[in-house]
Amino acid sequence: MEKFKRLLSILLIVSFSSVTMVHDAQAAMVSTEQVAQAAAAQQDGDHHARLDAMLARAEVQAELQRYGVTAEQARERIAALTDEEAAALVKQVDEAPAGGIIGAILLVFFVLLLTDILGLTKVFPFTRSIR
Amino acid sequence: MQARCAAARRRFLLGGAALTALAVSGCALQTPRLLASPPHGLPRRVELAATPFFPQQEFQCGPAALATALSAVALPTGPDALVGKVFLPGREGSLQIEMLSGARRSGAVATVIPGALEAVMRETAAGNPVVVLQNLGLSWAPSWHYAVVIGYDLDAGHFLLRSGPIERQELPFATFEHTWDRAARWAFVALPPGRLPVSADEVEVTRALVAFERNAPPGQAAQAYAAGLARWPASLTLAMGLGNAHYAARDLEAARRAFAGAAQDHDAAAAYNNLASVLLELGRRAEARAAAVRAVDRAGADGPIADSARATLRRIDEAAPDSRERPRSRSTAPSAPARR
Repeated sequence: MEKFKRLLSILLIVSFSSVTMVHDAQAAMVSTEQVAQAAAAQQDGDHHARLDAMLARAEVQAELQRYGVTAEQARERIAALTDEEAAALVKQVDEAPAGGIIGAILLVFFVLLLTDILGLTKVFPFTRSIR
Repeated sequence: MQARCAAARRRFLLGGAALTALAVSGCALQTPRLLASPPHGLPRRVELAATPFFPQQEFQCGPAALATALSAVALPTGPDALVGKVFLPGREGSLQIEMLSGARRSGAVATVIPGALEAVMRETAAGNPVVVLQNLGLSWAPSWHYAVVIGYDLDAGHFLLRSGPIERQELPFATFEHTWDRAARWAFVALPPGRLPVSADEVEVTRALVAFERNAPPGQAAQAYAAGLARWPASLTLAMGLGNAHYAARDLEAARRAFAGAAQDHDAAAAYNNLASVLLELGRRAEARAAAVRAVDRAGADGPIADSARATLRRIDEAAPDSRERPRSRSTAPSAPARR
Protein backbone atom coordinates (compact mmCIF):
# COMPACT_ATOMS: atom_id res chain seq x y z
CA MET A 1 0.00 0.00 0.00
CA GLU A 2 2.82 2.33 0.96
CA LYS A 3 4.52 1.56 -2.32
CA PHE A 4 1.34 2.22 -4.21
CA LYS A 5 0.93 5.60 -2.51
CA ARG A 6 4.47 6.60 -3.38
CA LEU A 7 4.00 5.53 -6.97
CA LEU A 8 0.74 7.44 -7.14
CA SER A 9 2.26 10.62 -5.71
CA ILE A 10 5.17 10.46 -8.13
CA LEU A 11 2.77 9.92 -10.99
CA LEU A 12 0.69 12.87 -9.87
CA ILE A 13 3.71 15.14 -9.53
CA VAL A 14 4.98 14.20 -12.96
CA SER A 15 1.60 14.63 -14.64
CA PHE A 16 0.87 17.95 -12.94
CA SER A 17 4.25 19.42 -13.69
CA SER A 18 4.01 18.45 -17.35
CA VAL A 19 0.52 19.93 -17.54
CA THR A 20 1.77 23.24 -16.19
CA MET A 21 4.70 23.22 -18.58
CA VAL A 22 2.44 22.76 -21.60
CA HIS A 23 0.10 25.40 -20.30
CA ASP A 24 2.93 27.89 -19.78
CA ALA A 25 4.28 27.26 -23.23
CA GLN A 26 0.93 27.99 -24.80
CA ALA A 27 0.36 31.10 -22.74
CA ALA A 28 3.51 32.67 -24.11
CA MET A 29 2.65 32.00 -27.75
CA VAL A 30 1.18 34.87 -29.73
CA SER A 31 -1.95 33.67 -31.52
CA THR A 32 -2.61 34.21 -35.21
CA GLU A 33 -5.69 36.23 -34.36
CA GLN A 34 -3.56 38.71 -32.38
CA VAL A 35 -1.25 39.10 -35.36
CA ALA A 36 -4.18 39.51 -37.76
CA GLN A 37 -5.76 42.14 -35.53
CA ALA A 38 -2.53 44.07 -35.31
CA ALA A 39 -2.13 43.92 -39.10
CA ALA A 40 -5.73 45.06 -39.63
CA ALA A 41 -5.35 47.92 -37.16
CA GLN A 42 -2.25 49.08 -38.96
CA GLN A 43 -4.05 48.95 -42.29
CA ASP A 44 -6.95 50.97 -40.91
CA GLY A 45 -4.57 53.66 -39.80
CA ASP A 46 -3.21 53.68 -43.30
CA HIS A 47 -6.66 54.16 -44.79
CA HIS A 48 -7.20 57.45 -43.03
CA ALA A 49 -3.68 58.55 -43.90
CA ARG A 50 -4.22 57.66 -47.55
CA LEU A 51 -7.44 59.66 -47.75
CA ASP A 52 -5.70 62.64 -46.18
CA ALA A 53 -2.91 62.34 -48.71
CA MET A 54 -5.45 62.34 -51.53
CA LEU A 55 -7.06 65.47 -50.14
CA ALA A 56 -3.75 67.26 -50.23
CA ARG A 57 -3.54 66.92 -54.01
CA ALA A 58 -4.08 70.12 -55.94
CA GLU A 59 -6.69 68.88 -58.40
CA VAL A 60 -8.76 67.40 -55.59
CA GLN A 61 -8.66 70.67 -53.69
CA ALA A 62 -9.64 72.60 -56.78
CA GLU A 63 -12.62 70.32 -57.33
CA LEU A 64 -13.69 70.61 -53.70
CA GLN A 65 -13.46 74.36 -53.91
CA ARG A 66 -15.75 74.29 -56.91
CA TYR A 67 -18.35 72.74 -54.63
CA GLY A 68 -17.62 75.26 -51.89
CA VAL A 69 -15.85 72.85 -49.55
CA THR A 70 -12.61 73.82 -47.88
CA ALA A 71 -9.84 71.29 -47.43
CA GLU A 72 -10.20 71.75 -43.69
CA GLN A 73 -13.87 70.75 -43.78
CA ALA A 74 -13.10 67.74 -45.95
CA ARG A 75 -10.39 66.65 -43.53
CA GLU A 76 -12.82 66.85 -40.62
CA ARG A 77 -15.25 64.68 -42.57
CA ILE A 78 -12.63 62.03 -43.14
CA ALA A 79 -11.59 62.10 -39.50
CA ALA A 80 -15.23 61.44 -38.63
CA LEU A 81 -15.33 58.20 -40.62
CA THR A 82 -14.97 54.91 -38.79
CA ASP A 83 -12.09 52.64 -39.74
CA GLU A 84 -14.45 50.41 -41.68
CA GLU A 85 -15.96 53.29 -43.63
CA ALA A 86 -12.55 54.71 -44.44
CA ALA A 87 -11.48 51.28 -45.65
CA ALA A 88 -14.62 51.03 -47.82
CA LEU A 89 -13.90 54.42 -49.31
CA VAL A 90 -10.28 53.61 -50.07
CA LYS A 91 -11.41 50.39 -51.72
CA GLN A 92 -13.89 52.30 -53.83
CA VAL A 93 -11.25 54.78 -54.89
CA ASP A 94 -8.89 51.95 -55.75
CA GLU A 95 -11.51 50.30 -57.92
CA ALA A 96 -12.73 53.49 -59.56
CA PRO A 97 -11.21 54.61 -62.83
CA ALA A 98 -8.98 57.67 -62.94
CA GLY A 99 -10.70 60.64 -61.40
CA GLY A 100 -12.56 58.39 -58.96
CA ILE A 101 -10.86 60.02 -56.02
CA ILE A 102 -12.76 63.25 -56.33
CA GLY A 103 -16.06 61.46 -56.82
CA ALA A 104 -15.46 59.33 -53.75
CA ILE A 105 -14.48 62.24 -51.55
CA LEU A 106 -17.49 64.23 -52.67
CA LEU A 107 -19.61 61.20 -51.91
CA VAL A 108 -18.46 61.26 -48.31
CA PHE A 109 -19.15 64.93 -48.14
CA PHE A 110 -22.69 64.61 -49.39
CA VAL A 111 -23.52 61.51 -47.36
CA LEU A 112 -22.48 63.22 -44.16
CA LEU A 113 -24.36 66.34 -45.19
CA LEU A 114 -27.45 64.20 -45.64
CA THR A 115 -27.02 62.34 -42.37
CA ASP A 116 -26.44 65.68 -40.63
CA ILE A 117 -29.73 66.99 -41.93
CA LEU A 118 -31.47 63.80 -40.83
CA GLY A 119 -30.02 64.39 -37.36
CA LEU A 120 -27.97 61.21 -37.34
CA THR A 121 -24.63 62.98 -37.26
CA LYS A 122 -23.43 66.46 -36.52
CA VAL A 123 -20.38 67.14 -38.60
CA PHE A 124 -21.30 70.42 -40.25
CA PRO A 125 -21.83 73.49 -38.14
CA PHE A 126 -24.25 75.03 -40.63
CA THR A 127 -26.81 72.19 -40.95
CA ARG A 128 -30.00 72.23 -38.96
CA SER A 129 -31.46 68.86 -38.20
CA ILE A 130 -35.02 68.29 -39.40
CA ARG A 131 -35.80 66.41 -36.21
CA MET B 1 -42.74 31.83 -52.79
CA GLN B 2 -39.50 31.55 -50.89
CA ALA B 3 -40.47 34.46 -48.71
CA ARG B 4 -38.87 34.68 -45.30
CA CYS B 5 -36.56 31.96 -46.41
CA ALA B 6 -33.51 33.55 -44.99
CA ALA B 7 -33.12 36.32 -42.53
CA ALA B 8 -30.02 38.32 -43.24
CA ARG B 9 -28.77 40.71 -40.71
CA ARG B 10 -27.37 44.06 -41.74
CA ARG B 11 -23.84 44.09 -40.54
CA PHE B 12 -23.17 47.74 -41.09
CA LEU B 13 -23.78 50.58 -38.73
CA LEU B 14 -26.08 53.33 -39.81
CA GLY B 15 -23.41 55.58 -41.27
CA GLY B 16 -21.79 52.70 -43.07
CA ALA B 17 -25.15 51.61 -44.38
CA ALA B 18 -25.85 55.03 -45.83
CA LEU B 19 -22.44 55.08 -47.46
CA THR B 20 -22.83 51.59 -48.85
CA ALA B 21 -26.38 52.16 -50.04
CA LEU B 22 -25.37 55.24 -51.99
CA ALA B 23 -22.29 53.53 -53.31
CA VAL B 24 -24.29 50.53 -54.48
CA SER B 25 -27.18 52.44 -56.02
CA GLY B 26 -24.74 54.77 -57.70
CA CYS B 27 -23.04 51.94 -59.50
CA ALA B 28 -24.56 50.70 -62.70
CA LEU B 29 -25.25 47.05 -63.36
CA GLN B 30 -22.30 45.10 -64.69
CA THR B 31 -24.40 42.92 -66.97
CA PRO B 32 -24.39 45.05 -70.15
CA ARG B 33 -20.64 45.59 -69.97
CA LEU B 34 -20.09 41.94 -69.24
CA LEU B 35 -22.10 40.83 -72.26
CA ALA B 36 -20.46 43.39 -74.54
CA SER B 37 -16.93 42.35 -73.66
CA PRO B 38 -16.68 39.11 -71.68
CA PRO B 39 -13.69 38.92 -69.35
CA HIS B 40 -10.54 37.43 -70.74
CA GLY B 41 -9.85 33.75 -70.33
CA LEU B 42 -13.37 32.76 -69.26
CA PRO B 43 -14.98 29.74 -70.91
CA ARG B 44 -18.20 30.61 -72.79
CA ARG B 45 -20.13 28.05 -70.84
CA VAL B 46 -19.67 26.35 -67.46
CA GLU B 47 -21.93 23.92 -65.66
CA LEU B 48 -20.86 22.01 -62.56
CA ALA B 49 -23.42 19.34 -63.40
CA ALA B 50 -22.17 16.91 -60.77
CA THR B 51 -23.19 19.30 -57.98
CA PRO B 52 -25.74 17.43 -55.85
CA PHE B 53 -29.21 18.81 -55.30
CA PHE B 54 -30.94 19.06 -51.95
CA PRO B 55 -34.50 20.33 -52.38
CA GLN B 56 -35.21 22.86 -49.71
CA GLN B 57 -37.59 22.07 -46.84
CA GLU B 58 -39.87 24.77 -45.47
CA PHE B 59 -37.80 27.93 -45.12
CA GLN B 60 -34.51 26.12 -44.90
CA CYS B 61 -32.73 27.38 -47.99
CA GLY B 62 -29.63 28.18 -45.92
CA PRO B 63 -28.88 24.58 -44.88
CA ALA B 64 -29.85 23.31 -48.35
CA ALA B 65 -27.51 25.75 -50.13
CA LEU B 66 -24.67 25.02 -47.75
CA ALA B 67 -25.10 21.25 -48.08
CA THR B 68 -25.07 21.63 -51.87
CA ALA B 69 -21.83 23.62 -51.86
CA LEU B 70 -20.08 21.37 -49.33
CA SER B 71 -21.04 18.10 -51.04
CA ALA B 72 -19.87 19.46 -54.37
CA VAL B 73 -16.30 19.80 -53.08
CA ALA B 74 -16.11 16.37 -51.45
CA LEU B 75 -17.15 17.43 -47.97
CA PRO B 76 -20.27 15.29 -47.92
CA THR B 77 -23.04 16.41 -45.61
CA GLY B 78 -26.80 16.80 -45.74
CA PRO B 79 -29.10 19.70 -44.94
CA ASP B 80 -30.43 17.89 -41.86
CA ALA B 81 -26.98 17.85 -40.27
CA LEU B 82 -26.64 21.59 -40.94
CA VAL B 83 -30.02 22.75 -39.67
CA GLY B 84 -28.81 22.87 -36.08
CA LYS B 85 -25.70 24.77 -37.14
CA VAL B 86 -27.11 27.50 -39.34
CA PHE B 87 -30.90 27.64 -39.01
CA LEU B 88 -32.74 29.97 -36.65
CA PRO B 89 -36.28 28.67 -36.27
CA GLY B 90 -37.43 31.94 -34.71
CA ARG B 91 -36.36 33.94 -37.75
CA GLU B 92 -37.15 31.20 -40.25
CA GLY B 93 -33.78 31.74 -41.80
CA SER B 94 -30.02 31.67 -41.50
CA LEU B 95 -27.69 34.55 -40.78
CA GLN B 96 -24.83 35.26 -43.15
CA ILE B 97 -22.27 34.98 -40.39
CA GLU B 98 -23.62 31.58 -39.42
CA MET B 99 -23.50 30.33 -42.99
CA LEU B 100 -19.76 30.99 -42.86
CA SER B 101 -19.25 29.44 -39.44
CA GLY B 102 -21.49 26.49 -40.35
CA ALA B 103 -19.28 25.79 -43.35
CA ARG B 104 -16.19 26.00 -41.13
CA ARG B 105 -17.69 23.64 -38.57
CA SER B 106 -18.20 21.17 -41.42
CA GLY B 107 -14.49 21.28 -42.21
CA ALA B 108 -14.49 23.82 -45.05
CA VAL B 109 -12.66 27.11 -45.41
CA ALA B 110 -15.42 29.65 -46.16
CA THR B 111 -14.22 32.74 -48.01
CA VAL B 112 -16.28 35.77 -49.01
CA ILE B 113 -15.56 36.68 -52.65
CA PRO B 114 -15.76 40.10 -54.34
CA GLY B 115 -19.23 41.32 -55.32
CA ALA B 116 -18.60 41.13 -59.05
CA LEU B 117 -20.32 38.91 -61.62
CA GLU B 118 -16.90 38.09 -63.01
CA ALA B 119 -15.78 36.74 -59.62
CA VAL B 120 -18.79 34.40 -59.50
CA MET B 121 -18.01 33.20 -63.03
CA ARG B 122 -14.32 32.67 -62.34
CA GLU B 123 -15.13 30.56 -59.27
CA THR B 124 -17.52 28.29 -61.13
CA ALA B 125 -15.03 28.02 -64.00
CA ALA B 126 -12.47 26.85 -61.42
CA GLY B 127 -14.90 24.20 -60.21
CA ASN B 128 -16.07 26.03 -57.10
CA PRO B 129 -19.83 26.42 -56.61
CA VAL B 130 -20.71 29.83 -55.18
CA VAL B 131 -23.23 30.33 -52.38
CA VAL B 132 -25.04 33.62 -52.98
CA LEU B 133 -27.48 35.65 -50.92
CA GLN B 134 -30.35 37.07 -52.98
CA ASN B 135 -33.17 39.40 -52.20
CA LEU B 136 -35.92 38.07 -54.43
CA GLY B 137 -38.28 40.83 -53.33
CA LEU B 138 -37.79 44.56 -53.23
CA SER B 139 -35.46 46.54 -51.05
CA TRP B 140 -38.36 47.70 -48.85
CA ALA B 141 -40.11 44.34 -48.89
CA PRO B 142 -37.20 41.92 -48.78
CA SER B 143 -37.47 38.24 -49.50
CA TRP B 144 -34.11 36.76 -48.61
CA HIS B 145 -32.87 33.60 -50.22
CA TYR B 146 -29.68 31.54 -50.40
CA ALA B 147 -28.86 29.69 -53.61
CA VAL B 148 -25.82 28.08 -55.21
CA VAL B 149 -24.45 29.25 -58.56
CA ILE B 150 -23.13 26.24 -60.46
CA GLY B 151 -22.34 27.84 -63.80
CA TYR B 152 -23.30 30.28 -66.53
CA ASP B 153 -23.78 30.55 -70.26
CA LEU B 154 -22.41 33.70 -71.89
CA ASP B 155 -24.19 33.01 -75.18
CA ALA B 156 -27.59 32.35 -73.64
CA GLY B 157 -26.98 35.11 -71.07
CA HIS B 158 -27.90 33.29 -67.89
CA PHE B 159 -26.52 31.87 -64.67
CA LEU B 160 -27.26 28.30 -63.61
CA LEU B 161 -28.32 27.78 -60.02
CA ARG B 162 -29.41 25.14 -57.57
CA SER B 163 -32.07 27.21 -55.89
CA GLY B 164 -34.58 26.19 -53.22
CA PRO B 165 -36.88 23.58 -54.78
CA ILE B 166 -35.53 24.15 -58.33
CA GLU B 167 -32.83 21.73 -59.35
CA ARG B 168 -31.58 23.64 -62.41
CA GLN B 169 -32.60 27.27 -62.56
CA GLU B 170 -31.63 29.39 -65.56
CA LEU B 171 -31.56 32.97 -64.31
CA PRO B 172 -30.81 35.77 -66.81
CA PHE B 173 -27.69 37.76 -65.90
CA ALA B 174 -29.63 40.98 -65.32
CA THR B 175 -32.26 39.31 -63.10
CA PHE B 176 -29.58 37.60 -61.07
CA GLU B 177 -27.67 40.82 -60.68
CA HIS B 178 -30.76 42.74 -59.54
CA THR B 179 -31.61 40.17 -56.87
CA TRP B 180 -27.96 39.91 -55.82
CA ASP B 181 -27.46 43.66 -55.76
CA ARG B 182 -30.35 44.03 -53.32
CA ALA B 183 -28.48 41.67 -50.99
CA ALA B 184 -25.31 43.79 -51.09
CA ARG B 185 -23.66 41.36 -53.54
CA TRP B 186 -22.77 38.87 -50.84
CA ALA B 187 -21.29 35.55 -51.92
CA PHE B 188 -18.85 32.97 -50.63
CA VAL B 189 -17.21 29.72 -51.59
CA ALA B 190 -16.59 26.81 -49.21
CA LEU B 191 -13.55 24.72 -50.06
CA PRO B 192 -11.56 21.96 -48.39
CA PRO B 193 -8.37 23.16 -46.65
CA GLY B 194 -5.51 23.52 -49.11
CA ARG B 195 -7.71 24.89 -51.90
CA LEU B 196 -8.20 28.63 -52.31
CA PRO B 197 -10.87 30.59 -54.18
CA VAL B 198 -9.46 32.08 -57.38
CA SER B 199 -11.13 35.47 -57.07
CA ALA B 200 -10.81 36.34 -53.37
CA ASP B 201 -8.28 38.92 -52.23
CA GLU B 202 -5.63 38.59 -49.53
CA VAL B 203 -7.74 40.28 -46.84
CA GLU B 204 -10.70 37.94 -47.25
CA VAL B 205 -8.59 34.80 -47.58
CA THR B 206 -6.62 35.74 -44.46
CA ARG B 207 -9.84 36.40 -42.56
CA ALA B 208 -11.21 33.02 -43.68
CA LEU B 209 -8.06 31.12 -42.75
CA VAL B 210 -7.70 32.71 -39.30
CA ALA B 211 -11.35 31.85 -38.62
CA PHE B 212 -10.79 28.31 -39.89
CA GLU B 213 -7.83 27.81 -37.52
CA ARG B 214 -10.09 28.40 -34.52
CA ASN B 215 -11.98 25.11 -34.77
CA ALA B 216 -10.09 23.06 -37.31
CA PRO B 217 -7.82 20.10 -36.56
CA PRO B 218 -4.30 21.65 -36.45
CA GLY B 219 -3.04 19.54 -39.33
CA GLN B 220 -5.77 20.84 -41.63
CA ALA B 221 -5.20 24.41 -40.50
CA ALA B 222 -1.51 24.07 -41.40
CA GLN B 223 -2.43 22.72 -44.83
CA ALA B 224 -4.80 25.67 -45.38
CA TYR B 225 -2.24 28.26 -44.26
CA ALA B 226 0.45 26.69 -46.45
CA ALA B 227 -1.78 27.20 -49.50
CA GLY B 228 -2.45 30.82 -48.53
CA LEU B 229 1.21 31.51 -47.91
CA ALA B 230 2.11 30.04 -51.28
CA ARG B 231 -0.06 32.68 -52.95
CA TRP B 232 0.84 35.60 -50.67
CA PRO B 233 4.36 34.85 -49.40
CA ALA B 234 4.74 38.36 -47.96
CA SER B 235 1.94 37.93 -45.39
CA LEU B 236 3.07 37.93 -41.77
CA THR B 237 -0.35 36.77 -40.56
CA LEU B 238 -0.34 33.71 -42.83
CA ALA B 239 3.24 32.82 -41.88
CA MET B 240 2.37 33.07 -38.20
CA GLY B 241 -0.75 31.01 -38.77
CA LEU B 242 1.30 28.27 -40.40
CA GLY B 243 3.69 28.22 -37.45
CA ASN B 244 0.92 28.24 -34.87
CA ALA B 245 -0.95 25.45 -36.64
CA HIS B 246 2.19 23.28 -36.78
CA TYR B 247 2.81 24.08 -33.13
CA ALA B 248 -0.73 23.07 -32.19
CA ALA B 249 -0.18 19.82 -34.09
CA ARG B 250 3.01 19.38 -31.99
CA ASP B 251 5.20 19.40 -35.10
CA LEU B 252 7.81 21.56 -33.38
CA GLU B 253 10.41 21.38 -36.13
CA ALA B 254 7.95 22.57 -38.81
CA ALA B 255 6.73 25.28 -36.43
CA ARG B 256 10.30 26.43 -35.86
CA ARG B 257 10.93 26.66 -39.61
CA ALA B 258 7.76 28.72 -40.14
CA PHE B 259 8.50 31.13 -37.28
CA ALA B 260 12.16 31.48 -38.27
CA GLY B 261 11.09 32.35 -41.81
CA ALA B 262 8.55 34.89 -40.56
CA ALA B 263 11.11 36.41 -38.19
CA GLN B 264 13.66 36.73 -40.97
CA ASP B 265 11.20 38.21 -43.50
CA HIS B 266 9.31 40.59 -41.22
CA ASP B 267 11.55 41.24 -38.20
CA ALA B 268 8.33 41.07 -36.19
CA ALA B 269 8.06 40.70 -32.42
CA ALA B 270 5.32 38.07 -32.66
CA ALA B 271 7.45 35.84 -34.88
CA TYR B 272 10.53 36.12 -32.61
CA ASN B 273 8.39 35.47 -29.54
CA ASN B 274 6.89 32.27 -30.89
CA LEU B 275 10.23 31.19 -32.34
CA ALA B 276 11.76 31.61 -28.87
CA SER B 277 9.06 29.47 -27.26
CA VAL B 278 9.49 26.69 -29.79
CA LEU B 279 13.30 26.75 -29.55
CA LEU B 280 13.04 26.45 -25.78
CA GLU B 281 10.81 23.42 -26.10
CA LEU B 282 13.29 21.96 -28.55
CA GLY B 283 15.96 22.41 -25.89
CA ARG B 284 17.92 25.05 -27.83
CA ARG B 285 18.05 27.52 -24.96
CA ALA B 286 20.75 29.89 -26.17
CA GLU B 287 19.06 30.47 -29.51
CA ALA B 288 15.71 30.75 -27.72
CA ARG B 289 17.08 33.49 -25.48
CA ALA B 290 18.51 35.43 -28.44
CA ALA B 291 15.13 35.27 -30.19
CA ALA B 292 13.27 36.31 -27.03
CA VAL B 293 15.58 39.30 -26.51
CA ARG B 294 14.91 40.33 -30.09
CA ALA B 295 11.15 39.91 -29.50
CA VAL B 296 11.24 42.18 -26.44
CA ASP B 297 13.30 44.68 -28.39
CA ARG B 298 10.94 44.70 -31.38
CA ALA B 299 7.75 44.70 -29.28
CA GLY B 300 8.45 48.12 -27.79
CA ALA B 301 7.52 49.20 -24.28
CA ASP B 302 3.75 48.71 -24.50
CA GLY B 303 2.98 47.23 -27.88
CA PRO B 304 0.33 44.50 -28.16
CA ILE B 305 2.99 41.77 -28.02
CA ALA B 306 5.14 43.35 -25.25
CA ASP B 307 3.68 41.35 -22.36
CA SER B 308 4.02 38.04 -24.17
CA ALA B 309 7.59 38.81 -25.22
CA ARG B 310 8.68 39.71 -21.67
CA ALA B 311 6.96 36.61 -20.30
CA THR B 312 8.76 34.43 -22.82
CA LEU B 313 12.15 35.89 -21.94
CA ARG B 314 11.45 35.47 -18.23
CA ARG B 315 10.45 31.87 -18.74
CA ILE B 316 13.60 31.13 -20.72
CA ASP B 317 15.75 32.64 -17.98
CA GLU B 318 13.90 30.65 -15.34
CA ALA B 319 14.42 27.47 -17.31
CA ALA B 320 18.20 28.00 -17.25
CA PRO B 321 20.08 25.75 -14.82
CA ASP B 322 22.24 28.69 -13.68
CA SER B 323 19.44 31.23 -13.61
CA ARG B 324 20.10 32.24 -9.99
CA GLU B 325 23.60 33.47 -10.63
CA ARG B 326 22.73 35.19 -13.88
CA PRO B 327 22.23 38.95 -13.47
CA ARG B 328 18.76 39.84 -14.72
CA SER B 329 19.76 42.92 -16.67
CA ARG B 330 18.38 43.57 -20.13
CA SER B 331 21.33 45.70 -21.13
CA THR B 332 22.56 42.85 -23.29
CA ALA B 333 22.65 44.02 -26.85
CA PRO B 334 20.15 42.07 -28.93
CA SER B 335 22.15 39.24 -30.36
CA ALA B 336 21.75 38.02 -33.89
CA PRO B 337 18.41 36.35 -34.40
CA ALA B 338 18.37 32.62 -34.66
CA ARG B 339 18.60 31.44 -38.23
CA ARG B 340 17.26 28.37 -39.84
